[in-house]
Amino acid sequence: MRISPIIADDRVARRAFLGDVARAAFGLSLVDGAVSRSAVADATATAAGGVNVITLMMRGAMSHIDTFDPKPGREEQGETGTIATKLPGIRFGEHLPQLAGLADRLAIIRSLTTETGAHEQGTYLMRTSYPQINSIRHPSFGSWAVHVLGKRTRDLPCYVLVGNGNEHPGCGFLDPAVTPVPLADPERGLENITRPGYLTQANFERRLALADRIDHDFKQRYAGRQIEAYDRMYADAVRLMGSGDLAAFDIAREDEKTRERYGRSRLGQGCLLARRLVEHGVRCVEVEMGGWDMHRDLWEDLPGKVGELDAAMAALLEDLEARGLLSSTLVVLATEFGRSPTINENAGRDHHPAVFSAVLAGAGVNPGVVHGASDAGGRSPDRDAVSVADFNATIAVACGLPWEKEFVAPNGRPFKIANDGKPIAAVLAG
Amino acid sequence: MMNRGVLMRSVLAWAAMAAAFTGACLAANRAKPARAAPRSGLPAAVTTPPAGPVMKVAAVDAGRRGRVHVEAAEIDKQLAARWEEYAIEPSPPLDGGQFVRRIHLELAGRIPTYDETVAFLRDTASDKRDQLIERLLASPDYVSHFYNYWADVLRLSERPQKNLLFEPYLAWVKDSIRTNRHYDDWVHEMLTADGRLWENPAVGFQLRDDGMPLPYVDNTVRVLLGTQIGCAQCHDHPFDHWTQHQFYELAAFTAGTRTRLGGAVKSAKPGAEAKPVPPPAVRTLVKEARDSKGKKTAALVQFIQANATAVSFRDTPLKLPHDYEYDDAKPSDPVERELLWGKVPASVRNADGREQFATWMVARTNRQFARTIANRLWKKVMGVGLVEPVDDFREENPASDPELLEHLTDLVLRLDFDLREYVRVLVSTSAYQRRAVIHDTTDEQPYRYPGPALRRMTAEQVWDSIVGLIARNPWSVQRPTAAEIADVAGVDLRTATIDDVEQQFDRFVTEYGPGAYQRRLNKVCGYRGQWLLKASEMPAPLPLGHFLRQFGQSDRETIEGGRTVPTIPQILAMLNGPITHAMLEQGSVAYETVMEHDAEKAVDVVFLTVLSHEPAADDRQAAIEELTAADPATGCGNLIWALLNTREFLFIQ
Repeated sequence: MRISPIIADDRVARRAFLGDVARAAFGLSLVDGAVSRSAVADATATAAGGVNVITLMMRGAMSHIDTFDPKPGREEQGETGTIATKLPGIRFGEHLPQLAGLADRLAIIRSLTTETGAHEQGTYLMRTSYPQINSIRHPSFGSWAVHVLGKRTRDLPCYVLVGNGNEHPGCGFLDPAVTPVPLADPERGLENITRPGYLTQANFERRLALADRIDHDFKQRYAGRQIEAYDRMYADAVRLMGSGDLAAFDIAREDEKTRERYGRSRLGQGCLLARRLVEHGVRCVEVEMGGWDMHRDLWEDLPGKVGELDAAMAALLEDLEARGLLSSTLVVLATEFGRSPTINENAGRDHHPAVFSAVLAGAGVNPGVVHGASDAGGRSPDRDAVSVADFNATIAVACGLPWEKEFVAPNGRPFKIANDGKPIAAVLAG
Repeated sequence: MMNRGVLMRSVLAWAAMAAAFTGACLAANRAKPARAAPRSGLPAAVTTPPAGPVMKVAAVDAGRRGRVHVEAAEIDKQLAARWEEYAIEPSPPLDGGQFVRRIHLELAGRIPTYDETVAFLRDTASDKRDQLIERLLASPDYVSHFYNYWADVLRLSERPQKNLLFEPYLAWVKDSIRTNRHYDDWVHEMLTADGRLWENPAVGFQLRDDGMPLPYVDNTVRVLLGTQIGCAQCHDHPFDHWTQHQFYELAAFTAGTRTRLGGAVKSAKPGAEAKPVPPPAVRTLVKEARDSKGKKTAALVQFIQANATAVSFRDTPLKLPHDYEYDDAKPSDPVERELLWGKVPASVRNADGREQFATWMVARTNRQFARTIANRLWKKVMGVGLVEPVDDFREENPASDPELLEHLTDLVLRLDFDLREYVRVLVSTSAYQRRAVIHDTTDEQPYRYPGPALRRMTAEQVWDSIVGLIARNPWSVQRPTAAEIADVAGVDLRTATIDDVEQQFDRFVTEYGPGAYQRRLNKVCGYRGQWLLKASEMPAPLPLGHFLRQFGQSDRETIEGGRTVPTIPQILAMLNGPITHAMLEQGSVAYETVMEHDAEKAVDVVFLTVLSHEPAADDRQAAIEELTAADPATGCGNLIWALLNTREFLFIQ
């Protein structure tokens, strides 16, 4: 079902209200939505509570038919078998046994649809709800969340990307304070975070002061957003160096059993790092997994890839739950579009924006729901089509973000967190 | 030169600093002067200047200088008219120090050395800027820098797919810049090349999207014609006039491109590559490799497939997709070839589709081809394209100054697609030789070029500048050439037995298998996990955590994926990483430069080395205080570190 623009479902309204309460309680306010004043910009505005978000972004376009929307018995299914899940009548691709066992905690959306079949544009849309255009850079969802909900700790970053490429839109037009910190490799955490051994703190500070003094003329001549963003980042980096909580970045502190449970893959260890970060007060984490663009010899690569996802996401959900964090943490599994039901000449699948799947779990989510469906061949939505903006509006509501509110960008134009998207009530917790 | 006492003091100062970084013992340095007993942690291949020329670069004709000035003046005239029209105050002209830094970054991709800066500032010749431009355009650093530029545009990576060994193509692109191939020839060759990668490396362009014939057309048009027709692959373009039918009509020209050795062609589904059946020898070898069931089976099969990867062309009909939904044709109808605009040149009317497409593309009558590259390089030099983004030309996105863009297009044509000469003209304009100006790309007002827009250095510029402060020879290794790869990768599939293949495979793995190049770099130019080497010679793409990637180097998957935004890891690398400290090792360029001068001049020398200008009076005072407050070694180290960590170092003014 689609929600009308005006009458939000009761569940939507309630969650949005909770968000308002949370903001009021933590002294955060939105001054007419003007984005120049971020809740984060005020260093004292840390909100211990509120929702966290961990997004698993499958880059290259994850095949829906081989994962969450199989078509057993049809030619389109190819070599991937299917398995039963905890939900009666619902099957997954055979390489998702652990998530199949957790299906009653998931909300599965099988009717996502988009227009663009190009990776860069598709990913941008998924991350921002807006089409990529030249004249403005839109904020990614995580930056919106931090902008509205505030930071949870003083020294740690509010938003971290694990294994992300260059094209992440970051904070877009929002205050640079909500820019994500990219970490290349979960195993290595945050590199170069400590001073070289020979350098005393006093000497380090001398150096910074000297740099600042020498740079004075240049900075004055070129005062503006570019230089400011760098100044800001230098200040953040130095503050982070002084943080007492750098253990948050170090997954080596986890016991072997836990590390194995997530799988020794980039994604697995990235999910483990995400859990540590959230536990230590980082509000949003996005973990990227590449390699889904399987145009050729799909069944050589797919089983391993899906297996990594299965282990990582299942471990993440169980671990969050065991630590009492799942009720305050939203886990999102997303990708830029689907892959063609028709198997191509090279035993691969090509780009397929018409229909694809995504999964939500945790905070604000109605568990055990399958929303929407693709048609028999997995080519188009059969019912309850969900746009990327609708999907993000749903996430916004689950986090208690004001999805209907207009925020004014520095160029004077109004933007909404999920563009023109409408939340899907069925997927949201009552 | 310094007197003995000063030298001794200075040696001690540096030795102490080096000791601090390397943990070496100060006493040992006191006993033996640094030069006599280098204790450098830097690899010898890096601290020793290259024995001979790094490469031979096509000469620049100094005799054409007059013509360059005339062309530059014409551009300046047009810009000046705009400044007047819009009441814009041009930015002040660059002084000598600013110019020498900017022009090195622009043409050589790195900051100038101390010696280069001082020589330029002391030179009294009135044409010294022209001379410098000409010298840099004919230098190996120019080749390296423009290779980096094209590597980002063309998504140059070593293994775009498992069976594609792309090193020959990467080397060939670099070599085309070295010999200054004219752009139209270069592109025509890439669009029509046949053969295997190490026999004819130009085939790399057609192989970059191997197995994806429609994205190939999309990317080719985007890069070469600055036009985005990609949406029309699946449906009519939502905000441009391109239809899906037009996309297929264009794709029909190159539909017969084959990328596998083979005889008979299996009928292709619409949109799919016409797939040749591999010749019996290939099938037999693959089967034998699979049957061997060894540890290396998969890699061996890929190696055979790499050898069976060869581009050839035979006209093949293309059909519309089976779900085509518009009224102008039926699903699966065959498509007639039709260009986006213009006509197939008469000279190739009887040639095959691919030749027609290539010849039309680079023809002088196809102005959009010249216009696209004119705008691209204008952006590279001035920071903002006349059309932005440079690959999104369409009616609703007009040029900010159409007259100027047409003028530049004519210039590219007049220069017969000699792009190096075109860049020479652009950097010779007085508009270019002005101080940078802040321009917000999201600004709704068109940029009128009162000077180049302020930009942070690209990742490669940052890296090569820092390496230049360390290495006397940043070229200790160069990426492998096509001939080198052919020697260890090539197998004659018609005659080879599986044993021959395996033998050659083992050689290949030793030389160029996973990690082999990296191990070689470790050995020759490795320093604390970093390779002190030109960015252009590095493995591609680099892993996400590398300094270059932290600074935004492209992943080589997205067209022009390079970025220049700040991130925390990037700044931590500057503050605490090994690379900014390598220059404080004995034997580094920075170390030796300061050593060669009087201690009293240390502050000026450090400023000239890192920022290419002498300090302002109060900065000099601050720096001297720093040097005298701490011990001189620590003070000097602090100063270099401080200058590297200024915004002035990273931004091009």
